[in-house]
Amino acid sequence: MSVPIKGNTTSNNSTPGGSFRNQAHTQNTGSGGLIVAQFCMSNSVSYSSATYGGFAMTQLYQINRSGLGQRMAFFYLENPPTGSNTLRVNFSGSQWNPLSTHIRSFTNSGGIGNSLRSGGSATPHNASLTVSDDSLIMMTSCSINAITSQQIPTGTNQSYSQHNTNRQVATGAISSNAGHSAGSIALRATSTFGNISLDRTEILGVSSPVSTGNGDFFLVM
Amino acid sequence: MITIISKIELEGEDNLKSSDVGYTSDVDVINEINEAYDASLGLFLGENRTKLELNLVSVSSFFSETPYVNEARTQVENTEGLVLIEITNINQL
Repeated sequence: MSVPIKGNTTSNNSTPGGSFRNQAHTQNTGSGGLIVAQFCMSNSVSYSSATYGGFAMTQLYQINRSGLGQRMAFFYLENPPTGSNTLRVNFSGSQWNPLSTHIRSFTNSGGIGNSLRSGGSATPHNASLTVSDDSLIMMTSCSINAITSQQIPTGTNQSYSQHNTNRQVATGAISSNAGHSAGSIALRATSTFGNISLDRTEILGVSSPVSTGNGDFFLVM
Repeated sequence: MITIISKIELEGEDNLKSSDVGYTSDVDVINEINEAYDASLGLFLGENRTKLELNLVSVSSFFSETPYVNEARTQVENTEGLVLIEITNINQL
């Protein structure tokens, strides 16, 4: 396997003020293209669909965190159009609360792997995700209180955007460029106090080309 | 990190429309834009959120006195693919 290559990111924390939000984002050029989008907003409405450059994105999950009054979602699209395009997310009705959006592009990706979600649990919230060799992990959390770390793996703080959707949201945390070895990866999210959720998703690398050894081969006609 | 500046205006009778108008890396420009937003449309949305959800208030009432507001809450790592001008002074908006 080889590690996915991280591309452009776009992060926004505005109020849609309607039943959809458009966000420009530039997808990098290269094989194994992948675009992912993490969202969090008040659960007063739900996510109905998302598109990038007019192509329908796949909803990996949408979860209603009723204790936090928030709805979190993850959409992705393999082999998206490259260049600057609009990512549109549609809602079941008008959203007048702030929306947390984090969009990230990849190239050299094998798509989406394992994904698990854990609701609010007392800080520090510990969890894990089993991944394949050379995968990356994306993480996001929500809490009533300020979020203080996103650790991938546990003990290694990763940078993230802290958004305010009338709750606190950490979005955009991702593994270091080297990727992980296959196996169970320990993860941790922390907040100043109280409960914090922890959602994690594997970004797969691509299989390495089959070696031809010393280069000798037979061509059978 | 680069921050995209958006223009927020009324679309139709009751929706917000956001258009990107420039970018900046100047923290003072970002703060000035967002403080003005928070004191105007942000304040209106905060005070009327429930009424907006229940259709008891229309956001058009805010825009009857203010044609548009700016907001600087989109962050990108680079300007690749962006056809936007750099804003170094809020008076450029």
